[in-house]
Amino acid sequence: MICQIDTNNGIPIYEQICRQVKFAVANGSLLVGEHVPSVREMATQAAVNVNTVARAYRDLQTEGVLVSIRGTGLAIAADALEKCRRSRLEMIRERLRYILREALQNGVSSDEISALVNSEWKSLKKEATS
Amino acid sequence: MNPVIRFTGVSKRFGRVVALEDVSLQIQPGTVCALLGANGAGKSTSIRLMLGFETPDKGDMEVMQMNPKTHALEIRGRVGYVSDAPPLYDWMTVQEIGWFAAGFYPTGYQEEYDKLTKRFDLVGSQKIKGLSKGTRAKVALSLAMAHRPQLLIMDEPTSGLDPLVRREFLESMIDVAAEGRSVLLSSHQVGEVERVADDVIVLMNGRVVAHERLEDLKKSVTEVVLSLPSATTAPPAMPGNVVAHVPFGHEHVWLVRDLDAGRLADLCRTHELPQPIIRKPSLEDILLTLLRQNRNQQSNELRPAVPVPASGGTSVP
Repeated sequence: MICQIDTNNGIPIYEQICRQVKFAVANGSLLVGEHVPSVREMATQAAVNVNTVARAYRDLQTEGVLVSIRGTGLAIAADALEKCRRSRLEMIRERLRYILREALQNGVSSDEISALVNSEWKSLKKEATS
Repeated sequence: MNPVIRFTGVSKRFGRVVALEDVSLQIQPGTVCALLGANGAGKSTSIRLMLGFETPDKGDMEVMQMNPKTHALEIRGRVGYVSDAPPLYDWMTVQEIGWFAAGFYPTGYQEEYDKLTKRFDLVGSQKIKGLSKGTRAKVALSLAMAHRPQLLIMDEPTSGLDPLVRREFLESMIDVAAEGRSVLLSSHQVGEVERVADDVIVLMNGRVVAHERLEDLKKSVTEVVLSLPSATTAPPAMPGNVVAHVPFGHEHVWLVRDLDAGRLADLCRTHELPQPIIRKPSLEDILLTLLRQNRNQQSNELRPAVPVPASGGTSVP
């Protein structure tokens, strides 16, 4: 589990950690029952404040993505996969709304947006396969 | 718990230049506290006062429950200090300088120094003279941390260093704070500060303009951009606490604490103004707006003959 933190993308750091853990569970790079790095390890690896990581882990515990295993740390909960797959779309929706609002404020039409989404989707898919 | 550093109403002048004016601040144990501000804002003066290199004209100071005026040597022996241009004996090797410094500290220094230099991939037999800036900085950091200080003070430690060395510095700071020790970091690398800091102190012209948890600062401050029809249109009164207001021609930027976004939208509708763009600023945006406002104020003070248009408080007729 490698977290890439970007301080310039407008998403709070603890939220970036939450999102990346959830995406990792949803796409299978973190498995149910697998341990996540300790707060200290994650903080050092991602070069972020320890309390920020602790807060992200707390949120993930509240959401039921992480469970504490006595004596050994935090692991991915049994029903986390289902939860993370569902919240994956929700997380994308939030980002999309942010971009759409920017488009709306700058007078871009919905046809232009749809065309843009389709062409970008196609070119990204092509990049991924080649 | 007692704060590691406490300033109460500290002032310092150099001749006619006011370096610090009535500065009060506290740094809690186990936290990373960032000191931000433009060049000449008083950051380095604050650090020099903490270490007893200067004495304040007014006010009380305590560093680890000691007074820097009377216990400067004890304080310097117990904190770790890294500056942007660390003075090191050029003719010594990496190993020798650790051995030399160990003589000034209790036992255990040498072992810890060797551990740190190993972690930073330093070669013991290399002469300091031939080291790159980044490697020199790593030697300075090792020397500053080998007595496991309760407080690590860093004055722009990563300026001019490559991303990898900067990352290693950040990791060290995180380790220190994770062990319940404290870090005071003065830096212009705002992105780095945003990653590692618990608290921020913003200094401007020797005064503290913000001193709070980074999380709270970012949560409560909103940036509002409003494009008015012309440069002479008076901007509306902001429903909230205006921290800074900078006009760029007919475009205005505000930093507002506890903004009532609904009321602002209503205000713009009733005054037939375009809707404002509202976003959550990064620490860099917050700092830039504060610095710009400060510069505008200064240039206005220098030209008092020109009438200054009232800002913020006036509403559209």
